[in-house]
Amino acid sequence: MKPQPEADSNASDAALIQRIVQRDESALGALYDRYAGMLSAVLNRILRDQQAAEEILQDIFYQLWRRASQFDSARGSLPGWLTVIARNRAISRLRKHNPSQGDELNENAVVMPVNLDNLVAQRELLGRVRGALDSLPKEQREALELAYFQGMTHSEIARHTGDPLGTVKTRLRSAVETLKRNLQ
Amino acid sequence: MTSGHPTREEDFDLYALGALEGDERQAIASHVAACPACAQKLAVARGRVALIGMATPEVAVPPNVRQRLIARIRLESTAGPATVPARREPAPRTESARWWSIVLAPAGAALVIATIMLWSQNEKLKTQLDQLRSSVASQQQQLEESEHAADLLAARDTVVVPLAPMPGAPQGTARVAFNKNMGMLMYDGSIAPAPEHMSYQLWLMPTEGAPINAGVFNPKPGETDHWMMQLPPGVTPKAFAITLEPAGGMPHPTGPKLLAASVS
Repeated sequence: MKPQPEADSNASDAALIQRIVQRDESALGALYDRYAGMLSAVLNRILRDQQAAEEILQDIFYQLWRRASQFDSARGSLPGWLTVIARNRAISRLRKHNPSQGDELNENAVVMPVNLDNLVAQRELLGRVRGALDSLPKEQREALELAYFQGMTHSEIARHTGDPLGTVKTRLRSAVETLKRNLQ
Repeated sequence: MTSGHPTREEDFDLYALGALEGDERQAIASHVAACPACAQKLAVARGRVALIGMATPEVAVPPNVRQRLIARIRLESTAGPATVPARREPAPRTESARWWSIVLAPAGAALVIATIMLWSQNEKLKTQLDQLRSSVASQQQQLEESEHAADLLAARDTVVVPLAPMPGAPQGTARVAFNKNMGMLMYDGSIAPAPEHMSYQLWLMPTEGAPINAGVFNPKPGETDHWMMQLPPGVTPKAFAITLEPAGGMPHPTGPKLLAASVS
């Protein structure tokens, strides 16, 4: 998340969304500067295609511009929602699906453990997530990454790794339990 | 798993992750659609799962992506905003309305089919319009960039730095031009594609401080890569280098230096 001009960098996501509703393009620019690097990392990691990642990145912010009035910040976190949409679109592209993109603002309520507008809290939280991911046994982490970054289901992971389905299910459940425990 | 509440909260995380399939997936999907408490638990699980992506080290996005986005929304403003129609509340039904609905049912069905067809056509047209707007915005952006590049290269105090190949360098040529007074930096090059799952990354080595990411790119065969960006204020370039990095680039150089040159 890059440094921004003072006024915009201090503004909350909800305040910037309100300004976007009033067609303030600098507010869209501020949210872009805040989250484009983070979303780009997810998109590039999934797609391994910079041009495709840039297309999706631009489309996500374009949709935010067009439909900002439908985003209800009381229902969830903007960076969480943006990340969910980025991942969904990248996985769909990777797997050649073509899902409806019209109503994502309402379909994907995302609640974060802390308010990510607070940069200190955000860094602390992401530090804990990285710590939790680093602490996972290699096989658990691999299963979690295949599910998250390649959109694989239990059976697909089992086929990919050659491990029994039950083993994969146990690994993935243990991985999400560890993540959850570290965030409590 | 039953059609009741999922027995373990991790089930929501596995659902959000997309790992569940078949009956397991369907059971949660049906349940959360009817249970607000579990829908809330799913929203919390989505947040936890999203953190896996958010914890991925950030990568720099080439500045022209932001410029294209802004050009696209400006173009939309010029053409008139796209609006989302408000949802209308249905009117209360009366006895006579019911009678008319029986009489007019076939006509109504035909009207519904016609409406769906028109709606579908309208959606296609909207998509085409969006694509056209994006294309025009992109062309407008390219024109502006060409003008900026011409200004930069024409300026007397612009420094042009041809990058020299190092051992293992891909075939092709690349150069960087920058102008401190104009605060602009330009990359222009045509080099062979990066290996699979890798990207090239241009670094600006300042006289003081750590290398600065100046763009991640994946050349296509026979095509030229070109972009412009703002030179960070107060930064004096000492050298430039292109390294080979994992796809999407890295926050700091980690791979081999393939092309490089000092600023003389």
